[in-house]
Amino acid sequence: MPKLIIDGRHIEVAPGVKVIAAAEQAGIMIPRFCYHPALGSAGACRMCAVKFLEGPVHGLQMSCMMEAKDGMVVSTTDDEAVDFRRFVIELLMRNHPHDCPVCDEGGHCLLQDETVSSGHVMRRHIGKKRTHRDQYLGELIQHEMNRCIHCYRCRRFYQDFCGYHDFGAMGSANRTCFGRYADGPLENPFSGNLIDICPTGVLTDKPARFKGRRWDFERAPSLCIHCSLGCATIVSARYRELVRVEARHNPAVNGHFICDRGRFGFGFANHSNRPHHARIAPAAATYADALQAAVNQLTEISRTFGSQAIGTVSSSRAGMETLMALKILASAQQWRSPSCFQDARQRNAVVSAVIRLSPDTAVCLHDVECSDHILVIAADPIAEAPMLALALRQAWRDGARVTVLDPRPVSLPCEYTHIPVAPKQLSAVLQKLMNALLSSPDTPQFPPLRTSDDAHNAGTVSSPSCDPKPDTALQLPLLAASLQSSQRPVIVCGTNIVSGTVVNAAADLVMQLRASRKNAGIFNILPGANAFGAAIASPDGASFSEILTAIESGEIQALLIAESNPVRWFPDRARIRNAFKKLKLLVALDYLPTPVLDVAHIIFPTQTHFETPAVFINQEGRMQQTSMVHCNGMPLSQQTAGKHPPREFRHDVPGAGAKPAWQVLLELNAALSAVNTPLPSYSELWEQIEQETGIAIDRRPDSDILEGRRLRLETQVHLPETPPPDTPPPINLQEDMSLELYPVESFCGTEELSAYAPILCRMEPMPELIMHPSDAAGCGLTDGGMVTIQSDAVTLDVRLKTAAGTATGTAFLPRHRQLVWRQAGSTDSRASLLQK
Amino acid sequence: MTQVLFKNRHPDRIATMEEYRAGGGYDALTAVLGKYPRSKVQQLALDAVLLGRGGAGFPAGKKWMTVAETAPFPRYMVCNADEMEPGTFKDRVLIHTDPHQIIEGMVIVGYSVMAERGIIFIRASYENAARILEREIERATTAGFLGDNILGSGFSMKISVHRSAGRYICGENTAQINAIQGKRANPIQPPPYATEKGLWNLPTVTHNVETLACVPHIIRNGPEWFKSLAAIPTAAGTKLYCVSGAVQHPGCFELPMGTRLSDIIENHAGGMQAGCAYKTCLPGGASTRFLPKSLYDIEMDFDTMKKAGHRLGTGSIIVFDEKTCLVGATLNMMAFFARESCGWCTPCREGLPYMRDILARIEAGDGKPEDIPLLRQMSKYVWNSYCALAPGAASPVESLLTYFEDEVQEHIHQHQCPFSSKG
Amino acid sequence: MIPEDFKQQLQQHIAGVEHPREKVMDVIFMLQDRFGYLSDELLEDAASLLKMTPLEVEEIATFYEFIYRRPVGGHVIHVCDGVVCWMSGYTAILDHLRGRLGIDFGETTPDGRFTLLPTCCIGYCDRAPAMMINRKVYGNLTPKRIDEILEKLGWDITGKRDDTGSL
Ligand SMILES: Cc1cc2nc3c(=O)[nH]c(=O)nc-3n(C[C@H](O)[C@H](O)[C@H](O)COP(=O)(O)O)c2cc1C
Ligand code: SF4
Ligand code: SF4
Ligand code: SF4
Ligand code: FES
Ligand code: FES
Repeated sequence: MPKLIIDGRHIEVAPGVKVIAAAEQAGIMIPRFCYHPALGSAGACRMCAVKFLEGPVHGLQMSCMMEAKDGMVVSTTDDEAVDFRRFVIELLMRNHPHDCPVCDEGGHCLLQDETVSSGHVMRRHIGKKRTHRDQYLGELIQHEMNRCIHCYRCRRFYQDFCGYHDFGAMGSANRTCFGRYADGPLENPFSGNLIDICPTGVLTDKPARFKGRRWDFERAPSLCIHCSLGCATIVSARYRELVRVEARHNPAVNGHFICDRGRFGFGFANHSNRPHHARIAPAAATYADALQAAVNQLTEISRTFGSQAIGTVSSSRAGMETLMALKILASAQQWRSPSCFQDARQRNAVVSAVIRLSPDTAVCLHDVECSDHILVIAADPIAEAPMLALALRQAWRDGARVTVLDPRPVSLPCEYTHIPVAPKQLSAVLQKLMNALLSSPDTPQFPPLRTSDDAHNAGTVSSPSCDPKPDTALQLPLLAASLQSSQRPVIVCGTNIVSGTVVNAAADLVMQLRASRKNAGIFNILPGANAFGAAIASPDGASFSEILTAIESGEIQALLIAESNPVRWFPDRARIRNAFKKLKLLVALDYLPTPVLDVAHIIFPTQTHFETPAVFINQEGRMQQTSMVHCNGMPLSQQTAGKHPPREFRHDVPGAGAKPAWQVLLELNAALSAVNTPLPSYSELWEQIEQETGIAIDRRPDSDILEGRRLRLETQVHLPETPPPDTPPPINLQEDMSLELYPVESFCGTEELSAYAPILCRMEPMPELIMHPSDAAGCGLTDGGMVTIQSDAVTLDVRLKTAAGTATGTAFLPRHRQLVWRQAGSTDSRASLLQK
Repeated sequence: MTQVLFKNRHPDRIATMEEYRAGGGYDALTAVLGKYPRSKVQQLALDAVLLGRGGAGFPAGKKWMTVAETAPFPRYMVCNADEMEPGTFKDRVLIHTDPHQIIEGMVIVGYSVMAERGIIFIRASYENAARILEREIERATTAGFLGDNILGSGFSMKISVHRSAGRYICGENTAQINAIQGKRANPIQPPPYATEKGLWNLPTVTHNVETLACVPHIIRNGPEWFKSLAAIPTAAGTKLYCVSGAVQHPGCFELPMGTRLSDIIENHAGGMQAGCAYKTCLPGGASTRFLPKSLYDIEMDFDTMKKAGHRLGTGSIIVFDEKTCLVGATLNMMAFFARESCGWCTPCREGLPYMRDILARIEAGDGKPEDIPLLRQMSKYVWNSYCALAPGAASPVESLLTYFEDEVQEHIHQHQCPFSSKG
Repeated sequence: MIPEDFKQQLQQHIAGVEHPREKVMDVIFMLQDRFGYLSDELLEDAASLLKMTPLEVEEIATFYEFIYRRPVGGHVIHVCDGVVCWMSGYTAILDHLRGRLGIDFGETTPDGRFTLLPTCCIGYCDRAPAMMINRKVYGNLTPKRIDEILEKLGWDITGKRDDTGSL
């Protein structure tokens, strides 16, 4: 461990740490442009020059290029170093357009800061400045090339860190510029990070352009809830409108970056159709009236049909507070416990994932980056957990192998082996893989399997039709050998197209690898930001398909839906519409203008996680909390339609009729209860949650709210025996050749919240039906042609894309908001495929 | 004068392989392959004090030794024929004279580091030389000196010619490694060194054309012989000196290392052109310092030059006469360096055009007295750049201000170039 | 579009190496030698042959001096502006060329036959002043020799043109 002295401060750092990073650890921020902790050193800007006074090197040197060594004495304030850095700034500012007043970076610009701190104030250069032509880089990023200082951060991030090659450096000498080959949108789903890493105003946030300076904004640390990873963000708002989202550093989860869905998907919070006031359909109502109406009708229904005639529904996008408040309400009133999952398969997969995650097997995204072999099972990272794809790339850059067992033609920004396996063959393949692991002679076997549904699936596993294809079978021993030779393998398992059987089998593999003394870990992907929390809050809740059946049979007469839109993901829209019609009462609480609100009888608008603190538990069991960014209300721009705000005084905030969902639920509970139930505060609610689940938020002032904290589950959560899963409900296309259609996710266009974000909606690719070329040929279909999926309920036209990486016998259709795929058939539907 | 590299020099043609062989060509290769241990070849080069002729003067044998015995394969041997240093043309002359010494040198060095793939990196304006090399590589392969299992030794080597499209920075060996891989030719600062992680992250040894051409002769005649070739005991071998500018007979001459500058100019380049008086020279290409008149007799070898605070560089002497404006000449070179910067680091990318602009103003008569300290400070600060291009670029300016400040002052005070008749 | 037989020739050239990218310069030169300059279309074709993105080829193409991304004449004259040529009469040579061709640096004669460009020292300083036409070098230039060269390339040096060679 090298010990050195920087500006008189003694510091000891890990071997290999650069002096610039060592200084940072000692609290000294050496000026820099090209150095970035995630991108490393480049030595390009020469801004980090410091003077080495004693030790192995002497004189002026770049602190980002120099490893900290024992005995170094470094001065960052030495006259020569200070003067040289002033000179570097003078050079960088020589061609700079000095257009700070109209530059969106102004106020949080590294170039401004370093210029001021360097003391360069007088311009000596006479003559013309270099100019460039700006490019159109799509809807997300504004390009202003003249402001560039050539730190190469953008290119290093885009090409090296992310592995995309449509943005880079062109020209040479002082004509070097950064951009695309031709105008057009950036292809990298992580491109938004260019905004954060560019230290000048070349690459700025286009949707947030000219919306204000940093100091104009209300800003707070928050979380991305557009997938289950829970990346850390910083959110800025102004005039009751969310303006921009930036990545926040969370070393365990997202590091320094986030994906574009997370950065640009916040439009739902500003949505012009967002409910702002309570309603008793069809008219607006005061909150108190709506509450009273709900209480009256719920009491009435409970008296007439019994309390079990009232069902409750929530979802994995609701925060822990809402889920638990609903649970408290339902159990106090003896209603049905909340349903948070789409169908039994999904519930089974998620609950299994949660059960099998133990503190020693759970790994975080950073651990994935440090792994040396990652096996991805039944997951499409870019679509389901985008930042995972970036983590896989970092692992690969460090020499890790990546293997993917998935039926889709998964594409990753790194080298990987893809073994296409149909969903229903996956557990058999994993069994074979397990056998291959066990067949190595000196392999100790891990303790007995915990899977409860093994027996249930036994038939499927041994059925000959499900035997893995011969070439897959050949690859498995190699895969097993490679896993055996790794030190820190990680198994990633998705829950989108498989049931708990596969999730359990993946966990078993991890246990087996650990038995052979590997530091193996499991990394599940769950459907939704708080799916983990939903599994804890309501492991026993019915699935939504069960709820529907109960409505149809008349067992359920009233439904309370809190922050959930079952219409979006439930396959049979006609059925759901009819069922809702049968209901005596539908109460809906939401901040999204979902179709549920259109048919609900009583509506309570709720607050987003930007408006009220909310706790989410990510897929690895990490509990994280958002903070309030701004108060709820109608965005000024909507209130005034772009005109000057009205010159009138009010005591209220316009459009601020929404309350946190948990609060509405607890108020309902208080009003419904015969005995006087006091209304708990936020912290009292958490005390109650702690009693029920053992989960507590940290209330210490120095709490680790910013990094979150992994739950120690085994002691705190008691999950019931998992019920047997539904067989996955693929739609059988083309009966004679057994082609199964699975609805899947895509990066853009399928995720619930970002479907309400106008910018992302404009960027969505057209949905395509994906299948293997030989299957397409078997159906007489050609790549690129329009095909019609026909079922009893509906006809659906979609473009066909054949991809050799698809498992045969399977077809995939994104759950695209533009597709009425939900109508393509009910769960037992048959559909046929026709070429247009 | 002993001619080693130019032994087979003809005014009108290239030496043939047969001619080269008749003079002992490929004997060294025959003696070494499969017979000498690698370390022996390395030791011979080390003992011969073979210093890199590309400009830096790094001991060749020492470079080969940095390729670890356990280093991964394949390994690469690159011959640097980029030669874009203004005033330098020795590699071109050498290739047009007797190209097989280069090929033989590459195979021997390749053998000493177990590199089985050779690449000759050549500049675009040397298209003729590139074709000659391709043709002679073909011939050497047919004769069994290249290709699979050379002379039954078990050692194989293939050589290909990589054409550049013209950038000075591509001569810098790490930038060249990027260029060959089809990447942007920005340098890569060690560690790791190219001999550890070069082309495709594999060990890569780069040498200048002239360095490689010396190798077969050293092997054949021994280190002592090589050292004895030099004019002075502290140097070794011969050197290809290029002389250009205000001399009677510009050209490339093979002379003992350490030959005096005055000797080279007067006795080999035919002295100054009629009516011209010697003012100064750049001794080793445009990236070296102007020599003060007091060093007119200096011995031209790495060591002596270094001790005098100068650089031998490529040994390419650009001679300036009394009537040539040194501000104009320096401006010309600064424009070159500014244009050829790879654009990676700030001092070079932004600093060189800045210096060029100031020099242009001085040359145009718009200079100000404060420009001199500014230029001086900048030529000091660009030394803190990422690679050696910018320090080289600063050398003419810095030495101009050190030895010829009067000339600069004259421009500023007269508000015009005092040599306006010329340049 | 690259003609099929030429495309095959390029493919063969690329197929010889382990890393296709290594051949980017050769492919560009081959295309340029045949079609004059590297048009967008050719660049995109080159990219797909080399399994690179157009941007990656552009990153290389725009770095170098002898890759032309804009149309040039059939004869591209690069006049050496290196320091030795500079002191050996470069200015006079350039003025003469400008006068004879009626074009300045960066321009092409109206008939599309000659383009005039500068270049740095081309390594023929012993024959300064020097220039290069389509990668062939001409040294020891004098106005007379330039006229000979131009005539040999079929240029009518007596043609009346704007002789000012204005900068
Ligand atoms: C800007 C720059 C340009 C260079 N150009 C050349 C060149 O054209 N030819 C060359 O042999 N070496 C050139 N070098 C030196 C090489 O980097 C390298 O040191 C040399 O090729 C090693 O060969 P040697 O050991 O045989 O000298 C250049 C160095 C720099 C910094
Ligand atoms: S665009 Fe921004 S990140 Fe890229 S080089 Fe310029 S200043 Fe750096
Ligand atoms: S990876 Fe998931 S959590 Fe992270 S920013 Fe993207 S959508 Fe949000
Ligand atoms: S000094 Fe810097 S900009 Fe100049 S060539 Fe070297 S790395 Fe490139
Ligand atoms: S931060 Fe060190 S050179 Fe840029
Ligand atoms: S300066 Fe013109 S050829 Fe060297």
